[in-house]
Amino acid sequence: MNAEAIAGLHDEAAAPRRSRWPLALALFVVALLLVTGGATAVLARLGRPFIASPFNATPSVGVDSDNPVGLGKLAGQAAREIAKVQPKGTYIVVDTYRNQLHLIDNGAVIRTAICSTGTGRVLKDPRNGKEWVFDTPMGERIIQRKVTHPVWAKPDWAFIEDGYLPPKDSSERFDNESLGNYAMYIGDGYIIHGTLFQSLLGRSITHGCVRLGDADLEFVYHHAPLGTRVYLY
Amino acid sequence: MRHSALACICISLAAGTVRAGDVTPSPSSVAALQLEAGLAKKPDVYLLLDPERRVLEIKARGTVLDTVRLTGIEVVSQQPILGRSLPSHPPIPAIWTVEDSSFDASREVEAPTDLKPAPKNDKDDDEDATPDAGPTATPTPAPEAPTSYRSRLDNGWDLWITDQLPPQSRWQTFLAAVKDGWRRLRGRGQNHIPAITLAMADSDAQRVHHLLRTGMPILVADEM
Repeated sequence: MNAEAIAGLHDEAAAPRRSRWPLALALFVVALLLVTGGATAVLARLGRPFIASPFNATPSVGVDSDNPVGLGKLAGQAAREIAKVQPKGTYIVVDTYRNQLHLIDNGAVIRTAICSTGTGRVLKDPRNGKEWVFDTPMGERIIQRKVTHPVWAKPDWAFIEDGYLPPKDSSERFDNESLGNYAMYIGDGYIIHGTLFQSLLGRSITHGCVRLGDADLEFVYHHAPLGTRVYLY
Repeated sequence: MRHSALACICISLAAGTVRAGDVTPSPSSVAALQLEAGLAKKPDVYLLLDPERRVLEIKARGTVLDTVRLTGIEVVSQQPILGRSLPSHPPIPAIWTVEDSSFDASREVEAPTDLKPAPKNDKDDDEDATPDAGPTATPTPAPEAPTSYRSRLDNGWDLWITDQLPPQSRWQTFLAAVKDGWRRLRGRGQNHIPAITLAMADSDAQRVHHLLRTGMPILVADEM
């Protein structure tokens, strides 16, 4: 057998081997796809994604009457009840998120002021576990008392927060500077008052009181009489 | 707050349905009015969710204090990609009450470990002492409010406030299912109660987070 014949035999033997590799690769890819696809399908079947559907705004509950006259009367009565409690004249609205106070007179905003309101934090007394929540209260309140040059009697939390024991001698609690020139008391110890630190207005840093700058405080004090309703939200 | 919203005295329902007796109110609108009258008797702030107008109004004593515009109101529930059974919707008008607010759960707690005697004649303390114990003091910044959060309602539903509704295209839902399936396979899956989902701008979501407290009533009614 000459050299050419031997080479020819070698080529014939090698040719089928080369053609198996692409087939194996293709099979591998198909197998991989099948396994991956199957696993993905199993995972998808196992999963619980969020599905949204439009909220059904069709009323399904009503008063137990279909008499037009009766319905009109009931509606009128409810509307009158609402109208009776709505604020009229001068009132104050405090937005505790944006730290803004609005003074409203007969439906028109006559003053908008930057204020500071409660932090929302909680303080715990290490001695007995008593807690104070420094929220500005929400809802309707009334200006119950107005005072010029107010003196503040510091409660226990003012000392505890600074790491001090509350003094037994009450004379050590009085502070005649911090509240500014005017104070409007809206119940439960909450006050609309001034501040020594006007640069911090607009931030939620108080213990629940509403702080105003000097000029705004003076304006609100002189335009909001006793009994003015204050809406805090 | 927009001044127009402030000045608005909400007699919209009365104006809309009871005006001069020209239109007979529907039983449901009367029910909604009566529910609101009940809420307005109390001094508390309440919310009015109007799905028709896509607004969430902050109210007290029947007066609109502020308004939040909604970009979507959806019922969102976890469902398998095959064989869904969507939950039935809660009836309206109704008052829902927040039972477990995200705000209340995220309050910071300060707890000094021990107390020392107060220095006498301390002129530096002001009435709101720690945060600004000096004109140049920088108070601890409050953590930024979340833009997506859930609160439990007394009707068994969740209220989900978010700035972004879950994507709903088929491909995205499939991807979400695979991701959730992988989490579940590793034992990290979460089952959420179906939620009434209010989508709004991120700043509004943060504002509502501040407002939505435990016990807050939400009147849900359209035609108002």
